[in-house]
Amino acid sequence: MDPAEVEFLAEKEMVKIIPNFSLDKIYLIGGDLGPFNPGLPVEVPVWLALNLKQRQKCRIVPLEWMDIDRLEEIREQERKLDAFTPIPSPYYMELTKLLLNHAADNIPKADEIRTLVKDIWDTRVAKLRLSADSFISQQEAHAQLDNLTLMEINTTRSFLLDSLNYMYKLRSNLQPGRSQDY
Amino acid sequence: MPCERKPMRYGHSEGHTDVCFDDEGKCIVTCGSDGDVRIWESLDDDDPKSINVGEKVYSAALKNGKLVTAVSNNTVQIHTFPEGDPDGILTRFTTNANHVTFNSSGSRVAVGSSDFIVKIVEVVDSSQQKTLRGHDAPVLSVALDPSDEFLASSSCDGSVTVWSIESQTQVAQWKILQKSSDVSNAKSLCRLAWQPRSGKLLAIPVDLTIQLYDRNTWTHVSTLSDDLITQVVNVVVWSPCGKFLAAGTVGGNLLIWDVEAKLCIERQKHEKGFTVCGMAWHPSGGRIAYTDTEGCLGLLEGVSSSSPSSSSTIQSKATASKETNDYDDLFDEDDDRMLDEGMSDSRSPVKKPIMEDDDDDDDLMPATGRPRNRGSFLDDDDNSQDPGSVKLDGVPEEDGSSAILPAVVPAVSRPVYDGPMPTQPQRAFQPGSTPMHLMHRFMMWNSVGIVRGYNDDQDNAIDVEFHDTAIHHAMHLTNTLGHTMADLSQEAVLLACEGTDELASKIQCLHFSCWDTHKDWIVDLPKGEDVRALCLGQGWAAVATSALMVRLFSIGGVQKEIFSLPGAVVCLAGHGEQLLIVYHRGTGFDGDQALGVQLLQLGRRRRQVMHGEPLPLSRKSYLAWMGFTAEGTPCCIDSEGVVRILNRTLGNTWTPVCNTRESCKSKSDHYWVVGVHENPQQLRCIPCKGSRFPPTLPRPAVAVLPFNLPYCQTTTEKGQMEEQYWRSMLFHNHYGFLSSSGYEIDSEGQSQAEKEQQELLMKMFALSCKLEREFRCVELAEMMTHSVVTLAIRYASRSRRMALAQRLSELALEKANQLQEEEEEEEEPAYQRHTSREYRGSNQMSSRQAQVENGCEEEEEDYPQEEQMDAEESTETRKPSLNPFKKGAKSPERPSPKPVSKEGRVNPFKVSGAGKSSSSPAGQPRTTNVLDSMTMSSRKPTPLGGTSKQGKAPILKPLAPKPKSKTQATLLQMSASKGSSKKLEDSQLEAEKVKPAPAATPPASMENIENRKPKTGFQLWLEENRKSILADNPDFEEMDVIKEGMGRFRTLTAEERLNWTERAKGDSDPKKRKREDEGQADEQMETDEGSAKKKKPLDTSAKLSAFAFNKE
Repeated sequence: MDPAEVEFLAEKEMVKIIPNFSLDKIYLIGGDLGPFNPGLPVEVPVWLALNLKQRQKCRIVPLEWMDIDRLEEIREQERKLDAFTPIPSPYYMELTKLLLNHAADNIPKADEIRTLVKDIWDTRVAKLRLSADSFISQQEAHAQLDNLTLMEINTTRSFLLDSLNYMYKLRSNLQPGRSQDY
Repeated sequence: MPCERKPMRYGHSEGHTDVCFDDEGKCIVTCGSDGDVRIWESLDDDDPKSINVGEKVYSAALKNGKLVTAVSNNTVQIHTFPEGDPDGILTRFTTNANHVTFNSSGSRVAVGSSDFIVKIVEVVDSSQQKTLRGHDAPVLSVALDPSDEFLASSSCDGSVTVWSIESQTQVAQWKILQKSSDVSNAKSLCRLAWQPRSGKLLAIPVDLTIQLYDRNTWTHVSTLSDDLITQVVNVVVWSPCGKFLAAGTVGGNLLIWDVEAKLCIERQKHEKGFTVCGMAWHPSGGRIAYTDTEGCLGLLEGVSSSSPSSSSTIQSKATASKETNDYDDLFDEDDDRMLDEGMSDSRSPVKKPIMEDDDDDDDLMPATGRPRNRGSFLDDDDNSQDPGSVKLDGVPEEDGSSAILPAVVPAVSRPVYDGPMPTQPQRAFQPGSTPMHLMHRFMMWNSVGIVRGYNDDQDNAIDVEFHDTAIHHAMHLTNTLGHTMADLSQEAVLLACEGTDELASKIQCLHFSCWDTHKDWIVDLPKGEDVRALCLGQGWAAVATSALMVRLFSIGGVQKEIFSLPGAVVCLAGHGEQLLIVYHRGTGFDGDQALGVQLLQLGRRRRQVMHGEPLPLSRKSYLAWMGFTAEGTPCCIDSEGVVRILNRTLGNTWTPVCNTRESCKSKSDHYWVVGVHENPQQLRCIPCKGSRFPPTLPRPAVAVLPFNLPYCQTTTEKGQMEEQYWRSMLFHNHYGFLSSSGYEIDSEGQSQAEKEQQELLMKMFALSCKLEREFRCVELAEMMTHSVVTLAIRYASRSRRMALAQRLSELALEKANQLQEEEEEEEEPAYQRHTSREYRGSNQMSSRQAQVENGCEEEEEDYPQEEQMDAEESTETRKPSLNPFKKGAKSPERPSPKPVSKEGRVNPFKVSGAGKSSSSPAGQPRTTNVLDSMTMSSRKPTPLGGTSKQGKAPILKPLAPKPKSKTQATLLQMSASKGSSKKLEDSQLEAEKVKPAPAATPPASMENIENRKPKTGFQLWLEENRKSILADNPDFEEMDVIKEGMGRFRTLTAEERLNWTERAKGDSDPKKRKREDEGQADEQMETDEGSAKKKKPLDTSAKLSAFAFNKE
């Protein structure tokens, strides 16, 4: 799974937009959307929101967690605790990136939000690396990681699995009496 | 003489402030906790010069063009005045200084600091310092004696000390203050003051009094106090002449004493009772500037300019003025609230004299019962800054009060009037606008778009933005004329300004949908006539003026009718051809407004629908919003948040449908309404935290509130359903209105609504059945339609309530009769007229007819001729007039642009399309199909079917009356022969259910049968059932048996009958049979009907559906 795929999944998240056009309900496989009334907030998936935004057909209403105070609190929490803290959205990184790249003008204090989310991300990924390190060095058989988001798992998975495989291979080679035929 | 207290204005952010005058008294200089020093030319100065001197300023002093400030970075700085350039640091402390002050010549500065030290510094040479040590706590205040001999200081250690400057020693010390640990904890700022010139007396605020100490003996001379002082005195200042002493208290009282007479000559109260923390006397005397801890600046004008001649008169006058100002407090509270919201208050000079008039007026009023009344009605003036209307409104009030109070003279014994007090009439406003005095405000927010007005230093402009960019792109206009009112429609923007001395009041219209090149027009009103309110409708504009007149214009600028109003206008609202006017019907009492409402129809058929009926509002409230729902029903909202909607079916009464305050979290929160929609039922509004209206930035988001009629016991199921039922009834009234005024309606939505209502009735019926409330059941059944009553009968008989079923069947019979009568009345003339017409459903016909009838009465005579012509070109269907609001209001209700076959674009994912009738006749002039290719679709109504009111019925429509008469027959029969009643009922219901489509077949097949010579199905059936008939009615003759048999046979289902006919023919291929049969039936029918009524050729789809029913 590559990041693009994860992002694709994130695009299914719902976000509120204020359209500036009028359209009746649209019927899609994933469900009905709309009706769209100019000036009235309506919930649509992110992909549609971005599409409309790019065509200047709507304004995006910032997600409720896209708020400086809230994010700062999360960041502090994240730094304080050793475990992963719950995150307001399972796609926080992807959504932040998508929305801020395309609709920064609709989100107040976009730059600060970007920095804060990046901070949270860095903290979490550092934690993840650290725990992977201790996992390997202590030769644990299993570990519990709660509150990880898909994107975070994705960043470390392939590398971790490959390296574990190699280590296993190397270790089994070290053991005497094992044939090395294969 | 009483001084005038000017209204407070915003100076600094909240926190400690200080104030002083410059040497000439030209400017007021304030400093505050926002770190700025502001220089005000006058209190009305909208653009004070601001000098940033640090993070926080604790104290400032000004003399000889040097501005000395005590700043939070522990320094005392000098700035030049008035330039404000930094001129070096005077001295430093280890912590911040609390008070700085000049000596009388301006050569020295004394500073008291929180590090217990007092310093005296030469301004010219800051190296020459004298340090006074001896206090054991932060120094609160310092004061230099006019002769530069002594220095007095007060400290948190509870002492006031007098130092000899020369020797730097303590001369006297009084432990008279309360001890505290820090300045922030000190009860009082304890600002000391030496008597100017002589310096004979030192004034020290101690608790609730002011102690005066003699300079030479350092003994206590006298104490000044007053009953009004309930909280600690914070600041004292001497008048420049040294005769008077002013004090400001923590409780916000401002008092002035004549020191010699020890008489309090002036008592004023801060508008909101905030702590006064800075006071300064103008160098010439006569006015006092003061600041409070909320950062506001105030001014007392006309202070002590006259010497106290006779103390007693002054005393009484002072109290009188005090009372006045109590009212004034209430009066100004609102303004302050706005101030607090960060809007700078730009009081226009025009207003002041009027305000004063108002105050004088109050003086004449008896005191009793007055303040509260004023308070309540003054809650309302969001628009209180409107200078002109104050004047206008003032007049009726005065009249009213003088009428009630015959001898209101400032006599010694005033007559006490205890009765209801008149309310000040509310000012004219534009619904959907925020108060006029704001720098950035919404001039209009409606369902079309937003008009914002900016009126600040850089810009005086108007922004027009459309919710739907398909209407028009956003506009930015420079507001050179100073427009204050606006309205916005799909066609135009209407702006208006009030007149000034030189310029007349103007109306400007930007008619952007105009097809020629001149897109705007301006009209001047006659001299002396000002626009008060305006609105736009479809193709017209209306303006209400101060001359109690309403002027109508066409949208292109043609002047049309003018008419007078019985009272001052409050607001106007327009929608389509409807104009709604709200005006003052008279004087309201005890906080209530007396408003009247007129509703005019401005279409081709002009008439007045409402003739000035009183507009109901909540107690002690005023009108906050008035307008139409998107569907065109008048709707009003009062300041208590109660939304009322006009109920046209109940003689134009107003029904409360929602209370927005109920959904507010806190008491100070409000909802600012921007639109009302009936379908879907939405109240669109903007939640405002802690205010009545939203700021323009950040851009407010619209929320949607549901409606909730205040019915009793809505916690119970019964109450809920009742509420739902009546809500549904109320909110679907507009269908009736729209169709009666010739607009086409969303018949599908209407039938759906009807269905919903009937379902609710049925549910209520079932509930009452369960509760064994049979009488109630019948009452409910009376509200049902005929077809639902039969369902109810079925329900009743199933639940073994025969008595109820009996009563219901009687009711059903009655209803059926009624229905038939109505139908006959309706249809027969129609049939006669339209015999030659084909391809047109009867219902469409009648709606068309209604439209024509409504459209123009005078054309009525020509009607037949017109019809003739119509008939000739009957292939061309005339387009019913489009309902402009469906689109315009952007109600999601509007007949959906269903992407069904006709468009050639089919949405394969559409779920709900199947069951619905495919025809949605409403045209959609400007639909933007965003997701596809932005095509516009404007559709004509389909010529066949679909438009009929019953929606789903209609293929064999002309036969509709038949089954009804049949039903009637069965019902009669049922009541006659009770034994078989149940079965009959059921079968009859069955028939009812499948009524519309198969209705054609039974009679047809019957006739078939009769036409055929060999044995028919009926004969077969009769042979088998003869016995049972005879058993039931042993005394029947042959003819009777056949008759009875016919009756019973008819009640069989279509299927059964078909079976019998098939059996009779013995045909082996049922499919083929049916087809044939069907074809014959058609033939039969056509011959039958051809003579009487217009018929529709049965197209294949009709055949198919008939077939489907047969097969079933």
